[in-house]
Amino acid sequence: MPESPLLRLSEVSRVLAGRVVVAGLNLSVEHGSVLGLLGVNGAGKSTTLRMIAGVLCPSAGQVLIGGKDLSEYPETARTKLGFLPERVPLYAELRVDEYLAFCARLHGLSGAAPAKAASTTIERCALGDVRRRLLGNLSKGYQQRVGIAQAIVHDPALIVLDEPASGLDPLQAAGIRALIAELRSSGHAVILSTHLLPDVQACCDRVAILHGGRLRHDGPTHALTGTGTLRVRVQAALDAEAWTALKSVRRADRADAFWRVELAAGAGPAQLAHEIIGRGWALLELRREEPSLEQTFLRIASTDDAREAA
Amino acid sequence: MIAALARNELRRLFVQPLAWVLLATVLGVLAYFFLLTLDACLALLPRIAGMADAPGVTDLVVLPVLRAIASLLLVVVPLLGMRAIAGEHQSGSLPLLLAAGIGDAQIVLGKFGGLFTFLALLVALALLLPLSLEIGATLDLGRIAVAAGGLILFAAALAGIAVAASTYAQNPVLAAMIAVVLNLLLWMADAGARYQGVSSSFINYLALPTHLEPFLHGIASTIDIVYFVLVTAVALTLAAHRLRSLRMRG
Repeated sequence: MPESPLLRLSEVSRVLAGRVVVAGLNLSVEHGSVLGLLGVNGAGKSTTLRMIAGVLCPSAGQVLIGGKDLSEYPETARTKLGFLPERVPLYAELRVDEYLAFCARLHGLSGAAPAKAASTTIERCALGDVRRRLLGNLSKGYQQRVGIAQAIVHDPALIVLDEPASGLDPLQAAGIRALIAELRSSGHAVILSTHLLPDVQACCDRVAILHGGRLRHDGPTHALTGTGTLRVRVQAALDAEAWTALKSVRRADRADAFWRVELAAGAGPAQLAHEIIGRGWALLELRREEPSLEQTFLRIASTDDAREAA
Repeated sequence: MIAALARNELRRLFVQPLAWVLLATVLGVLAYFFLLTLDACLALLPRIAGMADAPGVTDLVVLPVLRAIASLLLVVVPLLGMRAIAGEHQSGSLPLLLAAGIGDAQIVLGKFGGLFTFLALLVALALLLPLSLEIGATLDLGRIAVAAGGLILFAAALAGIAVAASTYAQNPVLAAMIAVVLNLLLWMADAGARYQGVSSSFINYLALPTHLEPFLHGIASTIDIVYFVLVTAVALTLAAHRLRSLRMRG
């Protein structure tokens, strides 16, 4: 019998101030997987995450966490998840270590466990240098990391992160990606809402794209990445037939000074470069065109925008 | 988890200047009032020394100080409790509590517990002023103990009202104003009736002084205890209900 998903949303809808913010959402997340939630501002991402976290009740539909209905067993279901909202929930007057110990207690840990969990999480999130500092005195980057730390301090099965890399420098953002990868490898499921498509490509097994409160795409990340076209510039004057004569090329179209080349099934950029060099065409440039994820995202957003305009 | 939340609330109160400033202000005002009352008492005692059933130090000094504590609590408790939920709203930390494995009633009880513990400490410190008279005079300690119990119940009711007001307002200042208005309404609910000589109507039952005064005179009756417990319970139930509706309405 197949294992039931850790999180399942069935026909979940939410109406806020008379406006349908999320409509008929069906989504599931398996143990040990990372789901990237994409969408333009106002697409319903944060509302969806707040419903998953139990902060907001759905107007209709059902949220199951570990098989428990969030509306019937709210406390039990919520102990299985950690939530980082868009605005990091901090108490400025508390120190990092006491804040994390409090969060651990809030999620049901008792005795010596909260202090131990706080200590472990401080190491895990590289907060050792600031563990005795007041939260209100930390930089934005550190505050964001403390926010992530509070979401994982009680070792929940499901971690919901709303824009975790917001305000972080590239190095800190890479640290967050590494942390998410570590969480996945240790069996946690993660839902990551972000505007940063490279983060989704780097971290997520699956991508769900919301637009206008509806789920417009849900599928594996690899189906959207790695199949994009290549932008190639060579010194030799060629026509399309010369390109398609290559084993690695399925189709080639001229675009100003370069060629937009679509690879044949199973072929990679390295093979194409090898063939070009082998034929003496003097390769000047070869890079991936806009990633397919971005194309898919933009197509969904622009289609609906056009529909709304009409 | 209620205890964890209450401890955190208490800790947060103590690491912020507002609670210390209020504590110092209350004790400073009471100390000044205490000295004035004591001075008046010392002037009066020789003149009433020969009277039968003459009031003692407990009546002349302790009782006015206890009444002053109660009057100060009407304003101080809303200021201490205004951040309970409204502050979480304002700082964006409310989702931390709402997403935790803790129920709405537990959140409210934790908030109430922290505030109530602070108020119990405040009342205990304030009572040290009149109790210091025991060094040079004979006090009715049993009566003062009953009065202390009444003040604690009174503080609990005000704390419940402050926490409830804090769930209904998203701004702490507004929450404090709502709580002060409610406290004053309950304090003066029967002022008109008393002015007309009515002292046993339903409106009298609703007023806070009706139930506090017997305690201050050393009388602890079930009906007064039930009143304070009821006010506290109704306020906390409303607060928990409001948290639930926040999840529903967003």
